[in-house]
Amino acid sequence: MSAHPSREEDFDLYALGALDADECGPFGEHLAACPECAAKLTEAKGRIALLAFAAASVAPASGAKQRLMARIDADAAAAQLPAKASVRSEERGVGFSGWWAAALVPATAVLAIATVVLWQEKNDLDKQIAALRNSVTTEQEQLSNSTKLANLIGSSDTVTVNLAQRPGMPKGVAHVMYNMKMKMLMYDGELEAAPAGKSYQLWVVPMNGNPVSAGVFQPVPGQTDHWMMAMPEGLVPKAFAVTIEPAGGMAQPTGPEVLLGAAS
Amino acid sequence: MSEETAAQARASDAALMERISQRDESALAELYDRYAGMLTSVLNRIMRDAQAAEEILQDVFYQLWRAPERFDASRGSLPAWLVVICRNRAISRLRKKNPAAGDELVDDMVPLRFHLETEVSQQQMLGRVRGALESLPGEQRAAVELAYFEGMTHSEIAARTGDPLGTVKTRLRTAIQTLKRTLNA
Repeated sequence: MSAHPSREEDFDLYALGALDADECGPFGEHLAACPECAAKLTEAKGRIALLAFAAASVAPASGAKQRLMARIDADAAAAQLPAKASVRSEERGVGFSGWWAAALVPATAVLAIATVVLWQEKNDLDKQIAALRNSVTTEQEQLSNSTKLANLIGSSDTVTVNLAQRPGMPKGVAHVMYNMKMKMLMYDGELEAAPAGKSYQLWVVPMNGNPVSAGVFQPVPGQTDHWMMAMPEGLVPKAFAVTIEPAGGMAQPTGPEVLLGAAS
Repeated sequence: MSEETAAQARASDAALMERISQRDESALAELYDRYAGMLTSVLNRIMRDAQAAEEILQDVFYQLWRAPERFDASRGSLPAWLVVICRNRAISRLRKKNPAAGDELVDDMVPLRFHLETEVSQQQMLGRVRGALESLPGEQRAAVELAYFEGMTHSEIAARTGDPLGTVKTRLRTAIQTLKRTLNA
């Protein structure tokens, strides 16, 4: 038998599924032969299961419970019908054990099975319809966004502001396009990942008054961040800035400027 | 929580499972009310698709109804067992390792030192787990979440984040040590 895992947390990493194949193999072989380690793994599985609570709370879909109970009812009905029919035939005497029973029992069972099958098919169709609706909605949104973007880029009133990287800050390039007539603003840029526990936040710095948030984002390395939004009402931009803020963003800038560009 | 109280909670789940064995639908409905929220949350987080999450949840409860004997209350916690089954199925489907994964209920029982039978106890555990995770540095928390909710191994996390493999291993190991200490406290 191979040696026990050298570190206690190996059990949790195994339960988590984080070990790669070359680490898993020997561990699995050892577990199969070592009841002591198998018991430790079982304990670790309990700890790891608790991580489920890290997920944001979501309530079950409306009607989900009813669908489950209906499925069980249909299943139970299909399973019990022949037995019930058999009991009834005994209650009614010999006469009912004739062709009526022979025809009714299978026919009712077929009906129950058909109900289950139809219910399943209805479920499948519902899912397909929901997926198609989602797909259509997504495509409509994409088309609408593409049209807005084309209008923004093509308009002679659109102003492009290049945001320059501030010294000593995470590397990145970005620009903002805005159009006061269309009341639209678009950010497009690529930045290094935000520091741990932090987010980036884009600000519209107005001619008068406090900066206004125009988006909080967490870049994925190698990917471009891009979004469009309505320009805040009545705001005349003097500059645009990206700052580092606590994860989730702040009402007003508190962190260092990473990117900055003057609007005029 | 004392071992005695935890044992009482298990017995209560066990009582519902016993009634399910006797084909009592109200017992299944009660278990559903008790754990569907917790399971829906984790399934939605993994699948990011409410329809797919409900499908898995329905299948798990349906199979629990069909084969209640697969759960052994003397060896494990029902909610922990259900979480493990749901997570395994969701990740298998998500990663297309096996689209039909989890057609059977697993036999591995999962013990739990904590009682999760009531909504209050679940809320308390939720606060405790989230508190423990929030106490971790961001990179460690992200690594734990990629492993748990996306089923990624060390190498896959390194490829996703662009960090060196050794760094990812250290982060996860350190995170696990902290979580273990916090959750066992």
